[in-house]
Amino acid sequence: MSVELANIHPTRLELLRLRRRKSMAEGIVDILKKDLDALTLNLFELVKKIPPLRNKMYATLKEAYGLFIEAEMISGSKRIEETSLVAQPIDFKISEEKKKGVIGILFPTFQFSEGTRILGPRFNLIDTPANLDESASKIKVALYDIVKLAEIEASVRMLLEVMATKKRQINRIQFKILPQLDAAIRYVELILEETERQDAIRVRVLQRERKERGALKHAE
Amino acid sequence: MLNKRKKGWPIGSAWKYKRIMSKITVAKLQLMEPKKITELAGMNLHHISSMLEKTPYKPEIAEIRSKELSSSSLEDALLQNFIKTCEELMISSPKGIRLLLSTFLMKFEANCVKGLLRAKQAELDVEEAMKYIMPVGRLDEARCRKTLEISENTADIVESFSDLEYGSVLKKAFAVYETEKIFYLLEVALDRHVYSKIWRATGKLGGLDKKIAMTVIGLEIDSVNVKTILRCRAMGIREDQIRRYLIPVSEVLGEKELEEVMREADMQSFINSLVRLAKRAMARDYQYIFTEIQQSHVTSLTRLETILDRGLVETSLRMIKRYTPYFNIGLILAFLNLKWFEVRNLRAVIRGSEAGIPADRVKKLLILPR
Repeated sequence: MSVELANIHPTRLELLRLRRRKSMAEGIVDILKKDLDALTLNLFELVKKIPPLRNKMYATLKEAYGLFIEAEMISGSKRIEETSLVAQPIDFKISEEKKKGVIGILFPTFQFSEGTRILGPRFNLIDTPANLDESASKIKVALYDIVKLAEIEASVRMLLEVMATKKRQINRIQFKILPQLDAAIRYVELILEETERQDAIRVRVLQRERKERGALKHAE
Repeated sequence: MLNKRKKGWPIGSAWKYKRIMSKITVAKLQLMEPKKITELAGMNLHHISSMLEKTPYKPEIAEIRSKELSSSSLEDALLQNFIKTCEELMISSPKGIRLLLSTFLMKFEANCVKGLLRAKQAELDVEEAMKYIMPVGRLDEARCRKTLEISENTADIVESFSDLEYGSVLKKAFAVYETEKIFYLLEVALDRHVYSKIWRATGKLGGLDKKIAMTVIGLEIDSVNVKTILRCRAMGIREDQIRRYLIPVSEVLGEKELEEVMREADMQSFINSLVRLAKRAMARDYQYIFTEIQQSHVTSLTRLETILDRGLVETSLRMIKRYTPYFNIGLILAFLNLKWFEVRNLRAVIRGSEAGIPADRVKKLLILPR
């Protein structure tokens, strides 16, 4: 701090400038705190959406796996495994877009869509049971939920990053910039006070000298 | 009934059934009781395996080492036993029935061909591929291994079957596959060929055998068609596409009838249409099954499949009651269906136990005649 203080010109103009900077920094802290509050509210809203969606996804997946096991029970695990080796893959597309959210943050939104639609079934229907179709369609539903969850989690992550940045900024201003400014102001004030005191003494000395010179002249 | 037989349904020569009937009667007595199968649900694999060692599955189960005991090894053992039983019956059967049973065994051969095609398509190495393949009939293990070793792609596999009837079927389907790149079209072609062949073999039987076999096998093929149509409809597949997966051979639900029901708007009207068609064709056994589906207001395809499968077993058993239980194909088909569904039920119990599925849920999937 001493090095920084050494660069400060202890003038009244500098004091005014420092005071202006301090009030501006305090204003910035206020704004940042309000932003942080808004972000926290938004974070809670997003976090609230996660458990029901996750539960729904788990329930759908559980159902899908149950149906898959049933398909294995009916047709045999090897047959189902064999079928899966050559089943036509579903062409999924997940496109990412940006949506403006709280305090102008660009949140990611994931658009889930099926690519080229398969005209027929994905595997031979004659030697597989209907449970396999039902299981596959349930997995598809679960995929939509998984993508939605990923979108929310990406938004939460982004919010947390922004919140951490804001908090760092607040802390930097509150615990570094403001104390520095306070110290600089105190320093300038002290120097100015010291200068004033020296000036007053110097005036008094000069006045005394002048009086003494005047008395000497009268005596001569 | 006696009068009817005298008029138009000759029972034929009873002598030709002398070997098969005694074998079937003994084998039928050895089938597991439904109660015993349901009791197995929820038990662990070791317990199930030791229970199965007291049944006709013993030779195949005994070959499994305790370290290798799993649902898939047990599944293989059950299937091997079923195939062995079919082969034994085929040897003792009269000529016409032997032909039918040999075409029936082609289902397993076709599965073996499908396994080879799938393994090559998925680019599995020989050892891994052999885990999925069950050698049967003309496709023994040595041939399957050699086919996999010498073939570089699916086209080579197709080519390797040129000495069997599957070769020409696959060659035709392969041309379509090359343009559309839909692999299961090869599998569908094989299934259609096998079912058509079974149907043709049924037509070659005579008298009461033909009547019984046409009812039971016709019902089996029509069940496959009904299931396929409903599943395709549920997936939103167009009519012209659905036609490619059907086997329109039966007299009750032929091509025209299937076209008619395919146009129905929803599942309920589809089933109503099936009931109407069964009545029109005076097919009593079809009526029983479709009416049951209609009255139980089925919305789930799984439930519908269960009713259709149970209907098939019950129809086979009804044939024994309706006609004489001996000296016709009725008992043979009933036994084969009972045995097949016993294997399927045991497979469900075993896989369910391994996956920790509750016994109640396993029992719902079992096909047990009432």
